[in-house]
Amino acid sequence: MLSTTAGCGSLQSSATEVGGERMTDDRPVRDGGTLTVALNADPDKLDPSLAQTLVGRTVFAGMCEKLYDVDEAGKVVPQLATALPKTSADGRTVTFSVRKGLKFSDGTSLDAAAVVTSLLRHRDLPGSARATELTPLKSAEATGAYAVKLTLKQAYVPLTAVLADRSGMVMSPAALKKYGKNFTNHPSCVGPFKFVERVGGDRIVLAKDPNYYDARDVHLDKVIYKPIPDGSVRLANLRSGDIQVGDQMVPVDVKSALTDNKLQLFNSPSLGYQGIGINVGNVKGLGQAPGHVDSPLANDVRVREAFELSIDRALINKVVFQGMYEPACGPISPESALAPGVKASQCPGRDVAKAKRLLKQAGVKTPVHVELKTSTTPEWSRIGQVIQAMAKDAGFAVTLRPTEYATMLEETDDGHYQAFNSGWSGRLDPDGNIASFLQTKGAMNAYGLSDDKIDALIERGRAEADPAERAKIYGELTRRANDAHALIYLYRQKNYVVAGQDVAGVRVYGDGLIRVKNAGYAK
Amino acid sequence: MAKYVLTRVRQSVITLILVSIVVFAGIRALPGDPALALAGEERSPAALAAIRAEYGLDDNIVIQYGRFIGHALQGDLGTSSRTGLPVADAIGQALPVTLELAALSLLLAIVLGIGAGVVAAVRRGRPAEWIANGLALLGLSVPTFWLGIVLVLAFAIVVPVFAASGFVPFGTDPIDNLRRMVLPAIVLGSGLAAVVMRQTRAAMLDSLSADYVRTARAKGLSRREVVGGHALRNSLVTVVTVLGLQLGHLISGAVVTEQIFVLPGFGKLTIDAVFTRDYATLQGVVLCTSAAYIFINLLVDVAYSVIDPRIRLGGAR
Repeated sequence: MLSTTAGCGSLQSSATEVGGERMTDDRPVRDGGTLTVALNADPDKLDPSLAQTLVGRTVFAGMCEKLYDVDEAGKVVPQLATALPKTSADGRTVTFSVRKGLKFSDGTSLDAAAVVTSLLRHRDLPGSARATELTPLKSAEATGAYAVKLTLKQAYVPLTAVLADRSGMVMSPAALKKYGKNFTNHPSCVGPFKFVERVGGDRIVLAKDPNYYDARDVHLDKVIYKPIPDGSVRLANLRSGDIQVGDQMVPVDVKSALTDNKLQLFNSPSLGYQGIGINVGNVKGLGQAPGHVDSPLANDVRVREAFELSIDRALINKVVFQGMYEPACGPISPESALAPGVKASQCPGRDVAKAKRLLKQAGVKTPVHVELKTSTTPEWSRIGQVIQAMAKDAGFAVTLRPTEYATMLEETDDGHYQAFNSGWSGRLDPDGNIASFLQTKGAMNAYGLSDDKIDALIERGRAEADPAERAKIYGELTRRANDAHALIYLYRQKNYVVAGQDVAGVRVYGDGLIRVKNAGYAK
Repeated sequence: MAKYVLTRVRQSVITLILVSIVVFAGIRALPGDPALALAGEERSPAALAAIRAEYGLDDNIVIQYGRFIGHALQGDLGTSSRTGLPVADAIGQALPVTLELAALSLLLAIVLGIGAGVVAAVRRGRPAEWIANGLALLGLSVPTFWLGIVLVLAFAIVVPVFAASGFVPFGTDPIDNLRRMVLPAIVLGSGLAAVVMRQTRAAMLDSLSADYVRTARAKGLSRREVVGGHALRNSLVTVVTVLGLQLGHLISGAVVTEQIFVLPGFGKLTIDAVFTRDYATLQGVVLCTSAAYIFINLLVDVAYSVIDPRIRLGGAR
């Protein structure tokens, strides 16, 4: 689905190239050198079982390969496994083999037993962030030196995509035994680079791993990941040459970078979304039974629909993001290879007249007061103001309440809000973008949404092996979710990565990760 | 003298204990559940419960404080809930960065601030004073972030004399270290230099019109002896007070400068810890900063007593 455009020309002041996709630069590279990659935050723990952040996934991409990976087309492909897994007719038994001759960075060998150890740790370690996605895993066993058999509690189609993320990372059992929970400070996996050191808040240093099976295709000596939260500081460092790759650049900085012919741009569509979550039933907090929320938005679906109809997604994209993101109106990216979602061009437009009619039908007193909690980022400050202005035309009085991230999480999870900006970085399998949010018992259903049909469709989607049938289920799920108007999808970010013109071989795929395995300095 | 110092040390220890209680309670009064902040995107009730259990967040605040202070007294400041790195290590890595930045900024402030202040006072009503006053006003008014970005653009991109970011220890490569530290020191030190300049100028003007200066002049002492030996020395009490107070601010307030220049110092560590509700790191950082602040005040008080013995006598009574 995703196209790869290789090339090495500078992308100076070209709006069309910004709008396109460019995931790699295939110029030949020379051996040696250090690449410094600036991340927009300091990664959390470097333990695949405990890690939570997107930036952490980028670091893992350099040192921890997975059973499966995502290619440039957004499809799952084998990485440490030899082939895609085989699933039994009832969907409850999954088997696969792992490649022979692989060595962890600590020099020990990777085999089926190591895979089993890792999978069970991902599932069982207290505090594991992988536990939820591996809940359906009943047991894992090594049926041969390199053969693995997984038994599931029920059919679970998203498993392959799950194994293409951190749950599929295989850790050295020797390192796990030696370091236990302190594995985070001594991570050892199979990967092009191995962990050298971490200075909290400053850098994570990886060095070329001689034990890596494909070491001859690894050109760099070292990769340094450096957290630089401020976009303009990241850009200044790219310009000065102190860093060579800048991750997650925002549109305004990308536009600025395009004026510098020493820089080049990579981009790919993202699998995530950003939108507005509305409290329709969260009165007792996350995980508790939904109840009655007394607000005009919660009381009547027509008021929520009117609110959504007052918003012009394309205008938000144009005004706030210089047209460099995509309007969104569903949880699944249209670029998803597994079950493409609604295209940006098919998103409903703004309809103030209909919005006013709906408010009249609902019999609410206008203006309808809405308090919208927003992140404290400049982007969300502007989005909030644009929404405020647009919603006013339809009869809403929106009050903006900028709220710091940790506080917002607590307040929204507890149900202390009317509306908030709700976003998700995205997962390869549609289930990963839907189940936790829209299912009644979903771990992140802060909206208090409870719809039996949505719950049933989510279960069906997880068990359906036929891709065409699955796509239909997710299409229906998207329609039902949109009809509930509890989560108004607004836009989908794009992954913009700016790099020095002298750097080639960096890959930026739809999962938002920067792959440096083949990167290096151009010959 | 020893008795005076001992009294001040005892007061400092009591202050530190009180500070640790306020810090501990204050951090826990912040809105935002640290378990949620840690779990981030992929939170589930089971994971949240495990995180709370692992970091003792379910315990009574008094028990949590007792555990914290007990470990702290043994030199164990805990483990960062976010990165899993020992807090003491993180502080150990951040401290030299901030101290060097503070020291360079202070040096800059002393040299420029005192120098310009003396010139402005001695050359009162002349162009030298207007220039010094103008520069001080600029130093106080220009926002740190803006100045940082402008300096990076000018001296790291257009004329690449200095580096835009990062830290290299002085012992590893002194030249590279200075290449990376000069711009942040200018950014952080410019405001302080302006404050010092104004204080020095005001104190010097007072001193220069005092009777002892007139007497010194009448005795036929040289201009250098009058200004440097008499007026400046007596003005320094005020200046040292300001410097002492500002040095505390330098250590705790280098946040913006460290963000602009990506320096892994205390400021950056603090900000990261606040946003991720990393209690252990935040407690450790704030406690160390408070200790530094208290220690600096102690040094300032001792320095007073050296400069002006009347203060020592007053404190000892």
